[in-house]
Amino acid sequence: MDMAGSGADLEAKAHEIRKMTLEMCARAGTGHVTSGFSCTEVLVALYYGGILRIDPKNPNRSDRDRFILSKGHASVCLYPILADLGFFPRSELDRFCSADGMFGVHLQHQVPGVETTSGSLGHGLGIATGLALAARKRRENHLVVALLGDGECYSGPIWEAALFAGGNRLSNLTAIIDRNCMSATNFTEPTLPLGSLEDKWRAFGWETRRMNGHDFPEIFQALAGIRSFRRSAPLAIIAETVKGKGIEFMSNHCLWHARAPKDQELERARMELNEGGDSYEDPA
Amino acid sequence: MKTQRDAFFESLYDIAFQDKDVVLVSADMGAPSLDRFRRDLAHQYVDVGIAEQQAILVATGLSLGGMKAFVYGIGPFVTYRCYEQIRLDLGAMNVPVTIVGVGAGMSYEESGPTHHTTEDISCLRALPNISITNCSDSVMASAMAANSLGLDHPSYVRLDRQAFPVLYRPGHDFSGGLEVLRQGDSLFLVATGNTVHDALALAGELEAHGLRPGVIDVYRFPINPELFREKTKGAKILFTMEEHTLPGGLGSAVAEIIADYGLGLRLKRFGCDFSRGLCYEYGGRRRLQELHGLNPRIMSQTIVDMTRSL
Repeated sequence: MDMAGSGADLEAKAHEIRKMTLEMCARAGTGHVTSGFSCTEVLVALYYGGILRIDPKNPNRSDRDRFILSKGHASVCLYPILADLGFFPRSELDRFCSADGMFGVHLQHQVPGVETTSGSLGHGLGIATGLALAARKRRENHLVVALLGDGECYSGPIWEAALFAGGNRLSNLTAIIDRNCMSATNFTEPTLPLGSLEDKWRAFGWETRRMNGHDFPEIFQALAGIRSFRRSAPLAIIAETVKGKGIEFMSNHCLWHARAPKDQELERARMELNEGGDSYEDPA
Repeated sequence: MKTQRDAFFESLYDIAFQDKDVVLVSADMGAPSLDRFRRDLAHQYVDVGIAEQQAILVATGLSLGGMKAFVYGIGPFVTYRCYEQIRLDLGAMNVPVTIVGVGAGMSYEESGPTHHTTEDISCLRALPNISITNCSDSVMASAMAANSLGLDHPSYVRLDRQAFPVLYRPGHDFSGGLEVLRQGDSLFLVATGNTVHDALALAGELEAHGLRPGVIDVYRFPINPELFREKTKGAKILFTMEEHTLPGGLGSAVAEIIADYGLGLRLKRFGCDFSRGLCYEYGGRRRLQELHGLNPRIMSQTIVDMTRSL
């Protein structure tokens, strides 16, 4: 299902998704809002920009592209997208983290449109390598795309998977690393430097690209040709991002990793989003 | 005598030869019986190197991608080392991957505790959806290759490294999860894996003391509680035997059934107590067993004393 939109359309969609994420988390009083905002444009590009071939009416069709959200705490941004596309009713967003709801803070495999459970980090890329290998062995042409957090790249299994994918030349696999330079409690570089992720992925046998993860033209430029299997290596795209992008006072503050704004904070967050958006109307 | 590993891989070879969706993921583990698989079915053999977490993850992806994945490695490495991958990616998502662990109990005797698989039943028994088959002979091991493919949930096949006499006939129905190998009256020895053979020997010796112990091979966890109750009907005392740590193992599983169903049976557990350290002793498996809760003389005397005091 291709849903390519214009740059302006996509920016408006990213804005709408951020608002939906904010309202969903504010209602529940929880959720990793800033982690979701870090990768909003990347998710919007994948789902609305004609990249992923998926079918909301038939979420499990065998020829679908597989998208693995390895940083499963960013589910708060993916769920609004899946609801908006019709994988499940939008009313589910109102029941986020509630007794009669379909999902909670971390990504669940039971939700239509979701491939794997995630929340414990370091699992998604390894599963993606298995999916990519299965596709190659079964001569299936779908893509496998995994979105990782940079903080997740501290965990060993990521590099076990990176070595495996590079060594096996899994050219149908793309990993996007959300490089916001923050993990849960601190900035990555002063804590334990991750350094040049491009150099690291390249050393593991991957082709690498870099992009501004909030700029649609750059995102599409980096994703260009990912469906071409003429590449001989898996592709790692380093998405330079800002954790909490869209709301200034929540951006780049560790305090906001696991918090949803409330009361005056919420009003301020709504105001900032509205000021930044073109045509957004409050869904409430 | 054929080893359980050879029996399993010979059977898996035949299955994989026919079914090109069967794939074996190895974490740098070989076996003479595996050489043929690697040579003839190279396209269905994946070696991830010494990276058991990746082995489980890649198998999860292969299975989600429509293939039938087996993961093979030494017991402790394909269980404890990748416990969270098993818990979430196989257990929570209920992905039908089969883990094959070799080296049950202390069968890697001189390799020390890094290679002993003495806590795996406790660990995996705690997880959702996963069944464990602890093989007691090569016929059962051979059958588990095909049996695993028919499952709609993850499973763990636990293989001993040593060869044992055959207990079952080819074609035996292993769906029950336990088997009475020797009928008894009020006393049963309940064993699993290699200790089934020790229990049969011990039961024979106990006849000299005027006892008629039954022997039950519990080869699958979770234990089928209804079948267990049916087969132990009339029993007054049970003795469990396992080359495995006591917390959470066979004895614990039997104690749970006794407690949950109010069976009112006496129970004595024989197994390993590692509470003050793992096994860094050497000198053969028998010696290790004797040092770690499975001394035949002590077990025999305990059984005689406890049965007489009933």
